[in-house]
Amino acid sequence: MRGERLVIVGNGMAATRLVEMLVARRYDGHITVIGEEPVPAYNRILLSAVLEGTHRAEALTMRDPEWFASVGVDLRLGSRVLQVSRKESDAMLVDGTTIPWDRLVLATGAIPTLPPIRGLVQLDGQLHPKVHAFRSLADCNGLLTALDERPGQRAVVVGGGLLGLQVARALSVRGVATEIVEGSEHLLSAQLDERGASILKRGLKKLGTEVYAGARAVRLTDEGLRLDNGYTLETDLVILTAGGRPSTALARQAELYVRRGVVVDGHLASITDPRVHAIGDCAEYAGKVTGFVPPAWEQAVVLAEHLCGGDTVYDGSRSVARLRASDLEVAVLGDPERTDGEVVEVTNPIAGTHRKLVVRGGVIVAAALVGDLARVGLITQLYDRRTILGAHEPGELLSAERATAAESLALPDDAEVCACAGVSAGRIRGCRTLDEVRGSTRATTGCGGCTSVVEQLLFPVGSS
Amino acid sequence: MTTETHCPYCSLQCGMRLAPASGLSSGSGPLPARTALEVTEWPEFPVNRGALCRKGWTSTGLHRHRERLTQPLVRSTETGELAPASWEEALDLIGDRLLALRREHGADAIGVFGGGGLTNEKAYQLGKFARVAIGTSQIDYNGRWCMSSAASAGTRALGLDRGLPFPLADIEHTDVVVLAGSNLAETMPPAARHLAALRERGGTVVVIDPRQTSTAAQADVFVQPVPGTDLALAQAVLHQLVADGNVDSDYVESRTTGFSSVRDSVASWWPERAERVTGVPASEIRALAGLLGTAEKVMVLTARGAEQHASGSDTVLAWINVALTLGMCGREHAGYGCLTGQGNGQGGREHGQKADQLPGYRMIDDPEARSHVASVWGVPPESLPGKGKSAYELLSSLGEPDGVKALLVFGSNIVVSAPNASFVSTRLDALDLLVVADIVLSETAARADVVLPVTQWAEETGTMTNLEGRVILRQQAITPPVGVVSDLAILQGLAERLDSPVDFATDPETIFAELGRASAGGKADYAGITYDRIRDERGVFWPCPSPEHAGTPRMFLSAFGHEDGRARFHVVEHRGAVEQPDAEYPLHLTTGRVLAQYQSGAQTRRVRDLPDDGPFVELHPMLARRLSVEDGQPVRLATRRGEMTAPARVVDTIRPDAVFVPFHWVGANLLTNDALDPASRMPEFKACAVALSRADRAAPALAAAPELGAAP
Repeated sequence: MRGERLVIVGNGMAATRLVEMLVARRYDGHITVIGEEPVPAYNRILLSAVLEGTHRAEALTMRDPEWFASVGVDLRLGSRVLQVSRKESDAMLVDGTTIPWDRLVLATGAIPTLPPIRGLVQLDGQLHPKVHAFRSLADCNGLLTALDERPGQRAVVVGGGLLGLQVARALSVRGVATEIVEGSEHLLSAQLDERGASILKRGLKKLGTEVYAGARAVRLTDEGLRLDNGYTLETDLVILTAGGRPSTALARQAELYVRRGVVVDGHLASITDPRVHAIGDCAEYAGKVTGFVPPAWEQAVVLAEHLCGGDTVYDGSRSVARLRASDLEVAVLGDPERTDGEVVEVTNPIAGTHRKLVVRGGVIVAAALVGDLARVGLITQLYDRRTILGAHEPGELLSAERATAAESLALPDDAEVCACAGVSAGRIRGCRTLDEVRGSTRATTGCGGCTSVVEQLLFPVGSS
Repeated sequence: MTTETHCPYCSLQCGMRLAPASGLSSGSGPLPARTALEVTEWPEFPVNRGALCRKGWTSTGLHRHRERLTQPLVRSTETGELAPASWEEALDLIGDRLLALRREHGADAIGVFGGGGLTNEKAYQLGKFARVAIGTSQIDYNGRWCMSSAASAGTRALGLDRGLPFPLADIEHTDVVVLAGSNLAETMPPAARHLAALRERGGTVVVIDPRQTSTAAQADVFVQPVPGTDLALAQAVLHQLVADGNVDSDYVESRTTGFSSVRDSVASWWPERAERVTGVPASEIRALAGLLGTAEKVMVLTARGAEQHASGSDTVLAWINVALTLGMCGREHAGYGCLTGQGNGQGGREHGQKADQLPGYRMIDDPEARSHVASVWGVPPESLPGKGKSAYELLSSLGEPDGVKALLVFGSNIVVSAPNASFVSTRLDALDLLVVADIVLSETAARADVVLPVTQWAEETGTMTNLEGRVILRQQAITPPVGVVSDLAILQGLAERLDSPVDFATDPETIFAELGRASAGGKADYAGITYDRIRDERGVFWPCPSPEHAGTPRMFLSAFGHEDGRARFHVVEHRGAVEQPDAEYPLHLTTGRVLAQYQSGAQTRRVRDLPDDGPFVELHPMLARRLSVEDGQPVRLATRRGEMTAPARVVDTIRPDAVFVPFHWVGANLLTNDALDPASRMPEFKACAVALSRADRAAPALAAAPELGAAP
């Protein structure tokens, strides 16, 4: 609809992408973005790198308010939507203002869930001073401040998923003695099998981080964090990374159909009301909520096209999860633990590597790579493009690449030595001096790259 | 007698000497036409210091060649065959036909197509001929398919496009050189000597290419992205530079504009995201950014691999963003440059054979530029036509109702070098009149109505501008064969027949002086350059506005070409190749060059001492096994535009998800995509989707000689 009023609730990665795409496609409606955080849109997934010190906090901003202004988007930072009315077609902010909309996009993301640990929350409802969530820039800054206050602290990270591992590595890189508690049987239980996780656990141990898997934290006391196996981990900091859930309160209250997330169709529209859309972590498509950036961005692109009159339809995403942490190499393509197919895998505990491909009909449908990502670029391409491989290829992909053999000096006479002049080894051997080579064959007179080989052919080692 | 001159091929324009093979001196002046010539070293010329590749050493191979054209050919209306004609007959025929077409359909019904191999004098005269003698706006040239993306990006970011804004030998004094899509060890081998010298000094060479080329073999760092993803790679490098705090803030503040939006735009290009797009492991991207971020001096050089894409100009902008962030452009022994390809790729784009430009790199829609050039030409400014169509759009319009009906081609073999070539061939065939000036019967000349035999290198004098912006002089060494005339004489003859309001000179030095006046005050200012100065100074770098001016080897040291003197950052977004692999066409195809051939091969394929093994298909052993193809066996490549068959060359130096075909023969460009860059109008030669299969052994002839034509 021309000139429609589009209100986007959320100013995170999905929302920013949506606005960028709408601007690029010259969407002709009026856009309002309501962001709860007071800071400009930033790249949330780099927060652990900021914690680690490998990414400068200033370099997180994706779009500053000036940009929104320059493209005519009404940006409200530090504003929270209290409720959404479908009947009145408006959104009411906590300060009482109402914003009318013709179309609404929920990009409210996810909120961290508090694990059932007693003592996490104080009587006043605030988190215990030792306890930190790790979702927002404010969380990250809070934790950095806590670290700065006192050197030599110990930390326990609750949750052994991707975020937990990244935070644990970041703390460890900063010199904080860090342990991980993971309630399920092993690390990255949603992505890896037992073998892959054990390789990862050994890698972490080498880096000085102990992992307690299959153990639940039950209580935070003055002594430390008590686990259900009776251990108590002494600690100064507890960082919660276990679990988030789609932020769906507004959708529920507006009586949109919500299961885990706001249930949407191929146009990212609520199945209850086609005027209301949801993208990113708060959306549920085909029974799945994703929690990763690439699918959120794919949804943003599809929705932007839809809002600009295009007929693209969202059909789910192929996910690639990459751990971003120093000295830990993990890539997970799709869902290797829950996808049918033939499994080709190589585990080498000695080298600390585990690589597994799930192949169906010649196509890599899922994969897990731990400790050796030399081929990740190629394997990801084959996975994303659904390339049909030959029977031998999955094995070849997992075997070491051929080491470049040192140039053999036993070059046959017909081997080309100088490509610039087209000169064979035999013709070089027929010469006595470098000058003769230059004069009669022109070898070495082009790029000069063959000079050392020519010299070795003229004066073989051991000859006098 | 020995003549100092330059190689007839690539933009390096290596210095060389020509002497009679007998060694006998025969006084002054050009040698007799039948003299056998020999190439010898010219060690004092600084670009190549005496080094040459085999193309240079054998460059006299086209003299006294049996396929050399020595008389005009006119297609007989009765037999349909090309038959010899006199120069008078040929030029009269062209003149009459053009006059009639101009009367009936207007001057824009006549098109002119030039080349990046023409001398400055010819390129200049061709532009003047089109605008003044014919009065058409429809002129463009094959340089669009060469470095136009870099030209467009350089102009937008730095305010001026000169391939290298510094002498090539500066490579030896930088710390890290990044070659994005350049295989210079094969395409301009003597240039690789500067890389070797840099490495000896302890510098680092980085090569980015989907193939581990011979240039990559000489590199310290090799990065192998999926074809068409260079832009994403550059974005991720920039992301990491910002993340690491390796931004030269003082420089960004004082010498550039637009950084903050670019910085924000790359916040979304963290290395793991780029890894998924480019196929380059995130760790390699971080390492590359770390290397660049901590080096004192960095030089980024792009070439066709990064530029020949529908997003080629944005890709170059992305790399310029990197160089600017590091504070390198306009600093000695550092910065950004483009390794231009064709012999006069640089000069050819400065003097008016581009659809939107007038001499001196002036824009044709700039009233001041029009009035200056018109005054030099002695015509009223309003008589000059406006902007014409770019090369591929011009060719697409051939024979269409409101398109070009007659085309004059100088120095280009369109049938082999244009993308989507079978379509282009049908457009050529739809013309009322096709005139081709060439030295041999190229694939394009063979389709012409009139073929005009012209002088070649060493039979004529003229200037070229090499990849460094150094204007150099190719001097005549030998008398041309009887029956052959210079392109300049053809333009004069046709101008007369077209009732041109002004006369056209034929003496190169006279034309060069006029070119100097026409370029005066423009960006590419040649006003102070003379033949004598070029001889004395071994080339003069433009801009050189006056005889007293020393020329400008290094640009931007104090200011960039924009009015405010600042370089501009540009926000760009990765779009990827227009045609992505899918179930039907599952692989990436990329195209390129081999050492022993040059461009469409019209010259080099005819030099006896250069190996001509024909095209081949490079593929990885994993892919070869998947297809049950062995080295040397014929394979068929098919794209949405055409197909070809050529023997397999199984090598583990190429990405397993890509295949490579050299384009010097009819074949590769039947396959390539004609999607154009919106800014530079560069076609997407370097990336499209292809299907590969073992060729039917029942039709082995296809393997030896690829057929011209589209799908069966």
